[in-house]
Amino acid sequence: MKNGTFYLEKDSIVHDVDPLSKLLFVFVSVGVTYIVSDHSFVLGVFAFTLLLLLLGKVLRYILPIIGLSIVLIFSIIIVQGFFHPDRSTLWFTIVSVPIYKEGFSYALLLTLRVLNMVCAFGVLILTTKPDDLVQSLIRKGMSPKIGYVLLSVLQILPQMLAVTGKITDAQRSRGMETEGGLITRVKSFIPLLTPVVLNSINDTRDRSIALEIRGFNSTSERTFLHETNHFKYGFVIKILLAASLAAVITWRIFL
Amino acid sequence: MRKQSMWSLKFSTAALVLIPAAIGINYLGKLFAELLRLPLWLDSIGTVLSSMLAGPIIGALTGIINNIIYGFTASPVSFVYAITSGVIGLVVGIMAYKGWIASIGKALVLGLVVGVIAATVSTPLNILFWGGQTGNIWGDALFATMIAHDMPQWLASFADSLVVDVPDKIATVLVGFLIFKNLPKNLTRMYDSRSEIDRL
Repeated sequence: MKNGTFYLEKDSIVHDVDPLSKLLFVFVSVGVTYIVSDHSFVLGVFAFTLLLLLLGKVLRYILPIIGLSIVLIFSIIIVQGFFHPDRSTLWFTIVSVPIYKEGFSYALLLTLRVLNMVCAFGVLILTTKPDDLVQSLIRKGMSPKIGYVLLSVLQILPQMLAVTGKITDAQRSRGMETEGGLITRVKSFIPLLTPVVLNSINDTRDRSIALEIRGFNSTSERTFLHETNHFKYGFVIKILLAASLAAVITWRIFL
Repeated sequence: MRKQSMWSLKFSTAALVLIPAAIGINYLGKLFAELLRLPLWLDSIGTVLSSMLAGPIIGALTGIINNIIYGFTASPVSFVYAITSGVIGLVVGIMAYKGWIASIGKALVLGLVVGVIAATVSTPLNILFWGGQTGNIWGDALFATMIAHDMPQWLASFADSLVVDVPDKIATVLVGFLIFKNLPKNLTRMYDSRSEIDRL
């Protein structure tokens, strides 16, 4: 989180797609894998998502993001695989541990869905600059104030982390214990957090004054720094996505 | 200055800039909890604090935006829990307004209520998205034991969320309450829509 986001500046066809289409893609891609419970279909969607990552030249950067969800994935495999209630068909046995077909089949489906979810979001967050996404949303009618809030988090976090380092050092130099038994560690939580909290809430006062001076509450229509939209293929992609979602829902209902 | 209800959608600038700060506090709470190897997440202190300061709407917005930003910068899985975070902000905001942060005893009750509600909201999400787990080792061990004893999935999943969320939210609300009570008056007054003093 230190350097803001996962965004990678590259020159690719996926980078050229407008952010809202990619946002829609995430919802459709995740949605269809939960609408249809078929292994090969979900695998197909996942493969398509991976293809987009490949086209966006960001395929290998998805690995650390998947790594963040690895605990959840392991938990799915172990809990659903070994303890699923419908365990009846014995698949095979590893060192006298029975492996049941139903549980693992369900675990595989869930794992594919989670992987697809993480990778679909990966397509969006690896190839879209947050500024562009927020600006697109504002153009579509989102409040510019909410837009400011979204983007300012990314600026404030590194600042707060810097202050945190100073405060941790200062408190340690005063003899605060951060190692040892649970009670000792619990006790040092409040003295570590409170100064940063006070500091950052105090900063909000200055920030709000500065913003109001610069016309944050102005009711006149906002203009954009970059008036032209340099993204392509938006309309076609949105139509295609809507059509595939409709097709999948029809398939689910009639088959 | 006209009195505003807690549901007002007219946000003051101070209340809006509180949101990013609160999200930062969420992140730091989690960071310190990990640094000190505490067995809790403590990742919604900022959400709770912003609800106490500026009411349920700002609290809910903080929660939702927090998980969206987390999705972008930390882990995409947290998008799913944006609803839970939003509800946490909402509940704390309403109950704080109704006087449930008057004393530490009441704050404990508030923490308990928030924990149970958070677990209730998370359970359908956990079942829908990953078959019932939370990704927390202790909770999932309980989940596996209950499933293995042929208890219904929703009950096991709810128990899983409950053992994880209730202690965490009680601790979170208590920390938020302690910080809130110790904030200087000139800071808290800035967000108080009921105060007589003209806001910024």
